[in-house]
Amino acid sequence: MAATAVHQLAQCITCHAWSPDQTMVAICPNSNEVHIYKSSPDKWEQVHVLQKHDQIISGIDWSTGSNKIVTVSHDRNSYVWNQEASEWVPTLVILRLNRAALCVQWSPKENKFAVGSGAKTVCICYYEQENNWWVSKLIRKRHNSSVTGVAWHPDNILLATTSTDGKCRIFSTFIKGVDSRDAGTTSSSELKFGEQIVQLDLSFSWAFGVRWSPSGNTLAYVGHNSMIYFVDDVGPSPSAQSVAFSDLPLRDVLFVSERMVIGVGFDCSPMVFTADERGIWNFVKLLDQRKLVPSSANYGSQLSGAFGKLYGQSKHISNDTVEPSRSRAGVHSNLITSILPLKVVGGAVKRFSTSGLDGKVVVWDLENQSEFSL
Amino acid sequence: MAASNTLTTMTSRLYLTCIRNTLEAAMCLQNFPCQEVERHNKPEVELKTSPELLLNPVLICRNEAEKCLIETSINSLRISIKVKQANELENILTKRFLRFLSMRAEAFQVLRRKPVQGYDISFLVTNYHCEDMHKNKLIDFIVQFMEDIDKEIYELKLSVNTRGKLVATEFLKQFL
Repeated sequence: MAATAVHQLAQCITCHAWSPDQTMVAICPNSNEVHIYKSSPDKWEQVHVLQKHDQIISGIDWSTGSNKIVTVSHDRNSYVWNQEASEWVPTLVILRLNRAALCVQWSPKENKFAVGSGAKTVCICYYEQENNWWVSKLIRKRHNSSVTGVAWHPDNILLATTSTDGKCRIFSTFIKGVDSRDAGTTSSSELKFGEQIVQLDLSFSWAFGVRWSPSGNTLAYVGHNSMIYFVDDVGPSPSAQSVAFSDLPLRDVLFVSERMVIGVGFDCSPMVFTADERGIWNFVKLLDQRKLVPSSANYGSQLSGAFGKLYGQSKHISNDTVEPSRSRAGVHSNLITSILPLKVVGGAVKRFSTSGLDGKVVVWDLENQSEFSL
Repeated sequence: MAASNTLTTMTSRLYLTCIRNTLEAAMCLQNFPCQEVERHNKPEVELKTSPELLLNPVLICRNEAEKCLIETSINSLRISIKVKQANELENILTKRFLRFLSMRAEAFQVLRRKPVQGYDISFLVTNYHCEDMHKNKLIDFIVQFMEDIDKEIYELKLSVNTRGKLVATEFLKQFL
């Protein structure tokens, strides 16, 4: 219904990132390389291959303002790639890690980025002009297990992390000389680097996929026990909500607006959660309705009618061949590992993309959806 | 006889459905590098170095003789099966037959070379298998395997018995 484009770019995709103008996408095809594809009217064309890592790449982020790509890998290294002429030139980041790096994200101002690692630490990296390299400051001895997700608060100081010890933590990442005291109007700029603001102990299982809402008022993360957690008023007295759902666990979430979240994960179909007027979060529906009888009637707009027929057919075939077990095949047929916003209009995401272990990058459109008029 | 047979197939189906549903929920695996050793990526369910990366094991029993243990971790899943062995003949047949399969474990990809202690055969599913293969097909394979193994052992037993009877008849003919 809402999927507007499906691109089979590799056998398996671990992560993806879009260029600032969204004409190019960087993916990791489950190997030590990053492939950059450029969109052309009829098909996607591979334009660059970034080779420097020697183990699987676990995270890519493409900064919108400065057009830099940061990659992290299980080989404990991270590189910042700069486009010079037509080439991408890597700069080594001194991460000082002795275990795999698992996730990465640029800060909103793009003067720092955070790397979560299997060494139970978080590295906050920033550029050092005099030495011409990226150095890192570590948040040590706060996590009891690997750091699976990092998310920057819009104020550029607060950082939320999730870990396989089931906890979500929020830290201050104020770095002297990089962040200015007067810039941050909130009280968060008073805090020292690495100070833990709050530790949320809601999940009984591993926690993943943390994100802040556009305003930074709400925080969402998921647990491996098929739960999603929403936290308001982060600070000394946070208020939390746990929402359980009946499907397989999620891996990543995205705030579409202040009151709507889309989660992706093992269920192979994006799930929509919304908050009502009182701020109570609820599971609404799966975006990719696989349980319905396949027919083009399910596919709302005329434009996507052809897509509907296509998926309807393929779904039908797969149902016939694997009669005994419930096939999860919709648009995605394996774990969806990441979800990214594509088109943001007035603070609300109108289009987003997902990528998964089935090697597809799928673009979803929320614009023609009357029920999503939030 | 017929009634007891349908009852057996029904309880067997319930047992297998239970295993299938548990596997569907448990097979949520992802790539996860080792926390203890640099640049390693090993199935956590085998190493058991970090207790927080393991989930509670699930034991599904049909009766004392038939059970299935499902152990899950963040990047791997181990399924150990104990096959019904009513008498010594079945015991020997099961042991021989499963040894034959275990020795060819590479051909089955998810089969473990050695069963977990107390079980007859073990499977090890890692995130790499989930990346290459369809999850539902993998589960189908394991459930099908469990379904077939009982049938196979039963047929082997029948053929051994028939052969024994035949040999005994032939042997005793000379005393006629």
